[in-house]
Amino acid sequence: MFLAWNEIKNNKLRFTLIVSVLMLVSYLVFLLSGLANGLENMNKAAVDKWKAQGVILTEESDINLPQSSLSLDDYDGKGADEFASLAQISSIATSGNNKSNVTIFGIDAGEFIMPNITEGEAFQNANEVVANDSLKEDGFKIGDELRLSSTEKTLTIVGFTDNAKFIAAPVLYTDLQTLQNVRYGEAAEVYKDQINAFVIRTDDLSNVDVKKELQVVDTTTFIENLPGYSEQSLTLTFMIYFLFVISAVVLAIFLYVLTIQKISIFGVMKAQGISSNYLARSVIAQTFLLAFAGVILGFLLTLVTGAFLPDVVPIIFQYLDLLTYGVVLVFVSILGALFSIQTIVKIDPLKAIGG
Amino acid sequence: MSVLEMKQVHKVFGSGHTKVEALKPTNFSANKGELIAVIGPSGSGKSTFLTIAGGLQPPTNGYVFINGRDITELNEKQRSVIRLKEIGFVLQASNLVPFLNVNQQMQLLDKVKKDNLPAEKLEELYQTLGIRKLLNSFPADLSGGEKQRVAIAKALYTNPSIILADEPTASLDSDRAFEVMEMLQEITTNSNKTTIVVTHDTRLINYCNKVYNITDGRLSLQTETAQ
Repeated sequence: MFLAWNEIKNNKLRFTLIVSVLMLVSYLVFLLSGLANGLENMNKAAVDKWKAQGVILTEESDINLPQSSLSLDDYDGKGADEFASLAQISSIATSGNNKSNVTIFGIDAGEFIMPNITEGEAFQNANEVVANDSLKEDGFKIGDELRLSSTEKTLTIVGFTDNAKFIAAPVLYTDLQTLQNVRYGEAAEVYKDQINAFVIRTDDLSNVDVKKELQVVDTTTFIENLPGYSEQSLTLTFMIYFLFVISAVVLAIFLYVLTIQKISIFGVMKAQGISSNYLARSVIAQTFLLAFAGVILGFLLTLVTGAFLPDVVPIIFQYLDLLTYGVVLVFVSILGALFSIQTIVKIDPLKAIGG
Repeated sequence: MSVLEMKQVHKVFGSGHTKVEALKPTNFSANKGELIAVIGPSGSGKSTFLTIAGGLQPPTNGYVFINGRDITELNEKQRSVIRLKEIGFVLQASNLVPFLNVNQQMQLLDKVKKDNLPAEKLEELYQTLGIRKLLNSFPADLSGGEKQRVAIAKALYTNPSIILADEPTASLDSDRAFEVMEMLQEITTNSNKTTIVVTHDTRLINYCNKVYNITDGRLSLQTETAQ
C-alpha cells in the first residue's frame, strides 16, 4: 500500500484519468442495473403485489395469461392456503385528452389479490375501478370516466393503488362481472364464470391438486414467461456482464502500460532485493484503491442522476444489487491487474539495470 | 573469512560460434574495511563481474560465497533475500524510486526489511552524506551528486556487509566524483564495510586499497596498498 499510495499521490493526473474511466464504467453498470430493475418492475409489479406462490393456468396456454381460459368451477382450492380468481384483458383507456394503455384485472374484492388503496376508495359498484397511481402522471384522476377501446362501456376511477403494473401497462382493478361486461358485452351473462387464472398462496405447490388440463406454475416461472420479460432482462444483464469484462480489460491495459513504463524502476527495486511478491501486492493494492475510488464515485454519480431523473424513466436502484456489482467491478479490476503482475514477476533485474 | 569470495567463477554467454566468454575463470576475495576498484574499458566484463558478485546472475561455473554462504546454489528468491540483507547497490543511473521523496526511499526499505539502521544512525548517515535538508525532496529535484549521495544512503541503510557500486561517479563532474569516493572511503573504513567500485575512471583508484584490472574478461590485481 505504501508504494501504491505514494505513486498515486505523486501522479495525480494520470491516476485521476484511470479513476475517471472506472467511475464512468461503474456509473453505466449502476444505471443499467437500475434500468433493468425498473423495467422488470414495470412488467411484474402487479404480480409481486399478489404475494402469491403460484398461478393455475390451462395447459394449452403456454403459461400466457390471456391465452388461458378456464371456469370458476375448475378449481376448488385443494392444496392451497388461499386462492383468488383472476380475469384479465388489455385495452386503451381514454378520458378527455388523456389516453393510456391499461391492463384490466377482474377480481373478487373479498379475495387476497384485492389491492391496497392509496387514494379514494375501493370499487363497490359495477363499472368502478381502482387504478394504478402512475395514471395520475398521465392526467387521470378520481371521478374520471374511462372509455375503453374494446367496448362502448365506460368505467369510473374511484380509487388509486400503487405499484400495479403488468407488462408495462398500469392496471385497473374491477369486479369480475364488470370485466365480463367489458369483455363479452351482451354475452357477459353466458360467460360470467370465465376467468384466466387462479392465483394461489401455499407453502408447497406440489400439494395443489388441479384437473388434467390445468397446470400449476410457480410465480417466478409465470413472470419469466411474461411476453418480452426474459429477453429484456437477459439483454440488460448481458450488457452489465460485458461491462465487467470491458472494465477488466481497460484497467488491465492501463496498468500494463504503467507497469511497462516502470520496468526499470521495478528492476532496480528487485536488484536491491525487494521481492516480486511485495511489488505484486503493491500493484494489487493500487488497483484496489483505483477501482474502489472509481466505484464509489460512480455510485455517487448514480445517486445524483437518480435524484434528477423524471418519474417516467423506469429506474429502480436496489442497493444490494449495486453493492454486488460494485464488489464485482473491484474484483474484475484486480483480475485485470494480474496481467501486470505476470510482467513484474518476469522482470529481470539484471536487464533492468542495464547489466 | 572473506566477506566476498569468488572461486573459479566463469561466465559464458551463447554457444558455438556465438559463444562469448564474458568472465574467464576468476578467483577473487574481499575483506571487511576494503575499498576495491575494478577498472577496465567498456565491454571488458566489469558489469558481469559485479552482477555475479551481487547475486544478480549466476556464473556458468564456479562458486560465489557471501559471508561464507555459497549463493550459486540459491534460487532467485533466496538470492533476492541475500541482496536485501547483505548487499547495498549504488548504480550508475540513479537507483531511486521517482515518486518517493528521500525520506520515503528509506521508509520503503523499512517495509521490506525490519532490522535496518536505527534512527540515530540514519540521522548520522544523513549528516555524513549532507542530505539532511533533502529529506522531502523528490529525485527529480535533486542534482546528480545529490542523487548519488541519496543512493549511497539507501545502500547503507539496510546495513549491508558489502557495497557494490557500478560507475557511481559516471554522471558527476570531477569535484562531485571525488566527493562521492571520499564518502565511500570514509564509510568503508568507519563502518567496516566491504566496498567494490566498478569503474572505467582511473582517477578514482587513489581512494582504493586494491585495484583490479579487467580486460577481455580476465581479472588481475593491479595494485594493493596497506589499509
